[in-house]
Amino acid sequence: MIWVLSSLFFFFPAGAPQAPPPQRNFEQIARQAEEARAADRLPDAIRLYRGGVKLRPSWSQGWWGLGSIYYEEDRFPEALEAFMRFIATSKKDVAPAYAFLGLCEYETHDYVHASEHFGIWVRKGLPGNTQLIDVASFHWALLLTREGQFVQALFLLEEKAKRYGVSPLLAEAMGLASLRMKNLPEDYPLERREMVWLAGEASAYGSLHDFDRAHEFAGRLVAHYGQEPNVHYLNGTIYSFEQKTEEAAEEFRQELRVSPNHAPAMIQLAFIDLQDSRLEEAMSMAKQAVALEAKDPLAHYALGRVLLATEHFQEGANELEIAKELAPASAKVRFQLARAYRRLGRKADAERESAVFEALKDKIEVLATPEEKLKGTPEEKGKAK
Amino acid sequence: MIADVAALLLAFAVSVSAQAVPAKAPAQSFEQVSRAAQQARDENRDDDAIRLFQQGLKLKPDWNEGLWYLGTLLYEKEHFSQARDLLRQFVALNPKFGPGWAVLGMSEYQAREYARALEHLQRSLSLGLGDRKQLADSVFYHVALLLTRFEQFHDSLELLWQMRGAGQAEALLAEPAGLAALGYALLPQEIPAPRRELARLAGAGTFALLDQRRAEAEKLFSKMVEQYPQEPGVHYQYGTLLLNDRSQEGIRELEKELQISPSHIPVRLRLAEYYLTRSQPEKAQPYLDEIIKLEPKNASGHMLMGEMLASKGDGAGAIRELELAREQAPQRLRIRWDLLRAYTAAGRREDAKRERTEIEKLSQQQSGKP
Repeated sequence: MIWVLSSLFFFFPAGAPQAPPPQRNFEQIARQAEEARAADRLPDAIRLYRGGVKLRPSWSQGWWGLGSIYYEEDRFPEALEAFMRFIATSKKDVAPAYAFLGLCEYETHDYVHASEHFGIWVRKGLPGNTQLIDVASFHWALLLTREGQFVQALFLLEEKAKRYGVSPLLAEAMGLASLRMKNLPEDYPLERREMVWLAGEASAYGSLHDFDRAHEFAGRLVAHYGQEPNVHYLNGTIYSFEQKTEEAAEEFRQELRVSPNHAPAMIQLAFIDLQDSRLEEAMSMAKQAVALEAKDPLAHYALGRVLLATEHFQEGANELEIAKELAPASAKVRFQLARAYRRLGRKADAERESAVFEALKDKIEVLATPEEKLKGTPEEKGKAK
Repeated sequence: MIADVAALLLAFAVSVSAQAVPAKAPAQSFEQVSRAAQQARDENRDDDAIRLFQQGLKLKPDWNEGLWYLGTLLYEKEHFSQARDLLRQFVALNPKFGPGWAVLGMSEYQAREYARALEHLQRSLSLGLGDRKQLADSVFYHVALLLTRFEQFHDSLELLWQMRGAGQAEALLAEPAGLAALGYALLPQEIPAPRRELARLAGAGTFALLDQRRAEAEKLFSKMVEQYPQEPGVHYQYGTLLLNDRSQEGIRELEKELQISPSHIPVRLRLAEYYLTRSQPEKAQPYLDEIIKLEPKNASGHMLMGEMLASKGDGAGAIRELELAREQAPQRLRIRWDLLRAYTAAGRREDAKRERTEIEKLSQQQSGKP
């Protein structure tokens, strides 16, 4: 609903005429800009910073000041330009500026560059204060969802739910990722809002192990949208969190009736079948998942585990090696690979994988790139030699 | 970067007004351009005005009038993202001008940036919109919608009720009120077709109830229960209506709601309060225990728990609970009155005196509200 604003035209606020600023040197302008900023006289600070960087384009502190004020004022195109100039001119640590670049690019809908810059920021170890880390990692999660990296997105979002509790914004983001919708909160079809909302609440409460509430929302979701893809998969995942494997398996099977090529449901069924020693069914599910999603490390991991359970050690090791290549920082892959090598009599390889597992197992919940996680492991040291 | 944005907008303006504009215009001064822009605006030649304002802003990026008029023109033309970017520059220069935040918030609403939209629309209200009634109506409406989407259902409903009282058409407010009453975090345009009638019935029933048109409210709510017996929120509405006159039926409806929505807090609050007013604290207690377990920071839950403990003679327990309630909702007068009574009963004269002072202060503040 858009209201007619014509009447507003007659209510323009009278602004005081601005006198032209007197000529000053760079040092004066820089000092006055900082003073204006500190006194919260932001329009003055912007004018002064602009004057400063015009006189001395290499003044990185000026670009930073300008960028951060524009960012605070939601003026993202201008903030983006300033942060870029800051990175180009600064000789000091510029790492947090990459998070700001990513955020500005997100807001100006330049998602490819936003992802790229968040990636740089993450590789630099997510520098910045808590607020920046929270905002940037949230937006990074939104972009991961848009790129179809739903598990990674949920990993980031669940961590926020655990730290801050469920909020409407977080639930919406979790809803999109849980329903495996490659969308941002601002661009998915309006008619899907209820489904996203219900899925998000279910997913968020599920991640907090508040299963009563999770099922309340999941129940509504299934009642209204049970024929939509990913709905039963989400419900099954909540049952899995709760360790109700029978109910979970039924939901995953239901998902396969709705979406016959749903590889994640097949993988989860493979794990449940494996746990219940239904090895033939587990093998069938894992093989189908690998055929559908050849680049999914979890599919290869599942198949590797089933092959080990059926004493096909060499084939199992092969699958686990593919999984390792696709997800080098996965502790559980290393653990199973060590088992496989041990059964194959490859003692040195088994010891190496065990050592990497030991180094990785405490980093499962750590937000970092695979490279970061692998730092200091025997494998990385070996490569350095 | 401002120049880039202006260039982008200029490109748009050229495309929409290509027929009206000569192929090549001689270079003009800022004064000439701004005069021509104002004239085009006065004569309602919107496309020309847009082009000229853009041209002027290219020459003078901080041109206050240019940012405002171009921002509002682009909003009217439904170019919301462009309007938003200009209005962000405008409010940075005019941070105390409520209408600037209002149009910015509405642009953000249209661009689906809901969190910012709510913040900025609320800021416009706190700064004031003067006598711009049409704009104020629009801002209140959008704030109410957004409060519901951000799950602040009670605040949304209160605002919609005030708007209804100020003469807004019920037809416009019924669906938003229904969503807030049912606790569905949706905007009206997001209601799925099979539940649109549900939202309308819930809203119309809520207004009928608030207007003391009880028979009509009952008719609407019973129709809602009949048509949507499994939807969350439905039995709560009907049960609340029945609780005072036909209490057993009301309790049954509220219990039905708890079967459908096991974590429903307002149902438990209603039931607890109902039993407390009938001096049956033992029946209120289980609901209050559940509320605090489900939502440990629920102010109403702690308040009723405090009242319940006070009624059972547990003064220390009552004060503990009421202080927790006050922590969550320091502005709520009922909590303050409860505390005043509890402190007085416990002989804590200084604390009681402080509460009395706070009550007087809050009463003055709250009576000053529209």
